[in-house]
Amino acid sequence: MPRFSATVVDHFTNPRNCGEIADADVRAFVGNPVCGDQILLTARISDDTITEIQFQAYGCSASLAVASLLTTAVEGTGLDSVSELDAARIEDLAGGFAPDQRHVAALCADVAHRLVDNYRRGINDEGLASCDL
Amino acid sequence: MDVARMLGAPGEAMRLPQDQWATSVTDVLTHTFAVHFEQNAFFRAQCDATDVTPEQIRSRADLPRIPLLPVSMFKRPDAHLLMTASLSDVELEIRSTGTGGVPSVARRDTDTVTRVVTAISGAYRDFFTISKGAGLFLCPSTAESPEMGMVKVFNLLNGVFDDHVYLVRDYAFDPQEAMSYLDKWDGEMTRHIIGPPFLVNRLLRYLELEEIETKLDPESLVITLGGWKRYTGESISRSEFDAKLQRYLGIAPERIRDMYGMIESNMLAVECEHHRKHVPPWCYVSIRDVTDASVELAPGQTGGIAILDALNTAYPGFLLSDDIGEVDESGCPCGRTGQTVSFRRRRQGAELGCCAVSIERFIESQEIVAECAVPVPGQE
Repeated sequence: MPRFSATVVDHFTNPRNCGEIADADVRAFVGNPVCGDQILLTARISDDTITEIQFQAYGCSASLAVASLLTTAVEGTGLDSVSELDAARIEDLAGGFAPDQRHVAALCADVAHRLVDNYRRGINDEGLASCDL
Repeated sequence: MDVARMLGAPGEAMRLPQDQWATSVTDVLTHTFAVHFEQNAFFRAQCDATDVTPEQIRSRADLPRIPLLPVSMFKRPDAHLLMTASLSDVELEIRSTGTGGVPSVARRDTDTVTRVVTAISGAYRDFFTISKGAGLFLCPSTAESPEMGMVKVFNLLNGVFDDHVYLVRDYAFDPQEAMSYLDKWDGEMTRHIIGPPFLVNRLLRYLELEEIETKLDPESLVITLGGWKRYTGESISRSEFDAKLQRYLGIAPERIRDMYGMIESNMLAVECEHHRKHVPPWCYVSIRDVTDASVELAPGQTGGIAILDALNTAYPGFLLSDDIGEVDESGCPCGRTGQTVSFRRRRQGAELGCCAVSIERFIESQEIVAECAVPVPGQE
């Protein structure tokens, strides 16, 4: 099996929905303090459905690619369905991970769940650590 | 001399007459430049913007015309733009997280990894000539930190030792345990200490406080990498460090060897016995004016450190770092030629960013948590 699935290569090379919605209805951030992978989701939500979503991510190639993949998977989806996304489902959507990439699936499931929780609780995360570019 | 021969005969490549070195490094960099010029659209755009082509790089004086990528680009979410190789060819991702929290990630393809492993192993052989003994690694194992550049570089030394131990576990370090390993190996094998300066310094502080003075072995080496600044910004004095190693562990200064590198580059500059860090023959360090990075400064002048690296096929290894320093092209008494590089400090405003800083920050945070722990009745 190649180290990166064709889906991961595609999303890394051609990221979809990359950016940050300025006047989003909800912002959710999850970061791994040890490895430094970080994902910020911003979304517009209407009738409990994600109508628009964008991501910003820092870290390994798999986390960048899967954050992109996640946005394509949840756009147009009801919040209840997003809550049910788990790491196994994300790995399946990504076409599989090498063992050292599996943490990315958990990170993506976490940020998807946080997006739903934040929206329902009226919370917005600040998001990404500063990047002195 | 081409890259394959340099890698196969590093001792010879590092001792070419100075005029041959200049020709040789220019040739290998021009060849690599042409590959990225042809195959990397993002880099090609930088070349087009400055109107430079591989045909124009004819001598060493032309090398500063090669466009540089600022290392901060390796933190960007759109880092795929940097890649010459496809992600499907990427074998190894190495990262470093600085004080800002955003990781810098360098992606290396199979060809680059093969070259770098050969290059670093060759440098270790040429500078250290270790093929046995025991390695006391004052750092996490690669199992604990598989993507940490400094650990990966240290780990390549591991294979030559007859015994070894990694002494940072769960981001904790116990100097008493370090001493117990040194005692265990005493009289059995030559003992070497490998780690970032701040952790070697912790061991020395322990020896100082406990008033322990011992002697390691005549051929013992202390090999460091990771910078001399603590995560707090405080500097570790090299001269005090060397003096304490001599006093508490009996290591002569010429057996203390620091190295300089960064995860984004394949350059590992290793110190010889005269404490000069030698730039490998497939790299060229170009010192740039901090106010105008297009201007190269002469050897001896202090400025921004740019590294041009001929080994990298994954992305253009032509990098403008956040480090300030200088190069020296005067002959080194050790007999190696080319350049030596001295790091002075970080560029003003740049975050403190390296693997050692991350490890130290985590160790200190664990210690603070332990100190502040509320005692549980019956478990004190």
